[in-house]
Amino acid sequence: MMVVTDDFVEADNAEAIISRIEHKSRKTESLLKQSKLVEALKTALEGWPPNTRDERCKSANWIVVHRAIMAMKDLDALFSSLDPEYYNILMKYLYRGLSTGDRPTCDQCLRIHERLTERAGLGCILRSLADTTNTV
Amino acid sequence: MAAVAVHQFAPCITCHAWSPDRSMVAFCPNNSEVHIYKLSEDKWEQAHILQKHDQIVSGIDWSSRANRIVTVSHDRNSYVWNYEGSEWVPTLVILRLNRAALCVQWSPQENKFAVGSGAKTVCICYYEQENNWWVSKLIRKRHNSSVTSVAWHPNNILLATTSTDGKCRVFSTFIKGVDTRDSKAGSSSDSKFGEQILQLDLSFSWAFGVNWSPSGNTLAYVGHSSTIYFVDDVGPSPLAQNVAFRDLPLRDVLFISEKVVIGVGFDCNPMVFAADESGMWSFVRFLGERKTSSTGPKYGSQFSEAFGKLYGQSKHSINNDGIDNSRQRGGVHENCITCIVPLGEAGSSTITRFSTSGLDGKVVIWDLESQQDLLEYL
Repeated sequence: MMVVTDDFVEADNAEAIISRIEHKSRKTESLLKQSKLVEALKTALEGWPPNTRDERCKSANWIVVHRAIMAMKDLDALFSSLDPEYYNILMKYLYRGLSTGDRPTCDQCLRIHERLTERAGLGCILRSLADTTNTV
Repeated sequence: MAAVAVHQFAPCITCHAWSPDRSMVAFCPNNSEVHIYKLSEDKWEQAHILQKHDQIVSGIDWSSRANRIVTVSHDRNSYVWNYEGSEWVPTLVILRLNRAALCVQWSPQENKFAVGSGAKTVCICYYEQENNWWVSKLIRKRHNSSVTSVAWHPNNILLATTSTDGKCRVFSTFIKGVDTRDSKAGSSSDSKFGEQILQLDLSFSWAFGVNWSPSGNTLAYVGHSSTIYFVDDVGPSPLAQNVAFRDLPLRDVLFISEKVVIGVGFDCNPMVFAADESGMWSFVRFLGERKTSSTGPKYGSQFSEAFGKLYGQSKHSINNDGIDNSRQRGGVHENCITCIVPLGEAGSSTITRFSTSGLDGKVVIWDLESQQDLLEYL
């Protein structure tokens, strides 16, 4: 892995990112309709970091992820098939969910948080909290 | 048991250092003093108290050949202490800082020492014979935040620093008259003082301890995001590896051989990392015994109570005495370990003994002689 010496760079403009997110949203919806819940969550979490500070893009991405999180039912299946590389990003979105204060969202996020912490350890929580550059 | 000696010196220890013959230990008990204790007949006795600083002493280093102690403090000063007669005599070093000094280390040849500070500067101090005093040269550029840790390369010229801006940097500290130019072409001694050789942007959060491998080929430093970074072939084209681990972040690291690193931090238990034949680093295991509650999850009794409340169910084991304030996570240390010091011969390529000190006020000596599985990695 090469070291990066540049500062944070805006890779694409917001419009390009939003259209990618919309495409992702359609794909996630169709996976949810086919009850492929874990696939849907993976799709929603992909393409991160979006390399942008634009709040609209982040919110658009959050809506897609939120949809996949709320549809999740079988957590055992989720954790047996979710790759560890998704753990850190999922934890960040769980905290975004917990910050909404919306009861059903918080309940679901808390349920997943418990399992994710068991799986990934406290280090995962640290990584989602300590990274103030790549926020969701 | 890897921990061969444990002693509670104070309620809290900021940093510590050992005398050349390892019979005395100097530490700061979280105040403006440095206490020196001597081991005589299996009992620790207080030998000296060094009182010169006005604020907490944040760094102590004891040079092994010249038997000099250097201390730095939040009062922006540094003293070099020489043992004359039966007393430690201080010499003030004017660092020219306007913020606290945070860390200090003698260079391998002990003719210089480096100080990291909250003023976003690093001071390189050397002794000027003509005026009989220590001069401080500042590296003012580059750092965007406090310098938390400094580490000297074995060649006595390169210095690695970590900062709360998340970056690890390597500088040249070549000083005319103090260092000699290496005859090898293209080596680090071609650079001038304060020149940045390398900047590593691997961490997105604060970076803490940094250490070089015995040969100087590899660098390791830790970030607050529970990650440790290994960089091989430090130079124009380095190879970096991020190792993210399950547990709480580390605060300090030590290479005990080319391929084994010990990290210490908030888990109160030293963590062992090793590189395999292909050079891939990974977490091996904890060094001390871990306290695991029988029914609870793997993160120890301190958190199961809190998580029980968080998840709204009392399915985790709850102690009978209500809120359990004991911080027994690692077993030996009861609070964050902030400092790790090698106990081998200075400059040796393999260390099997080292000591740790932490916010619980204990100094623990670890010996890997009994850890067969780890000795194979060395």
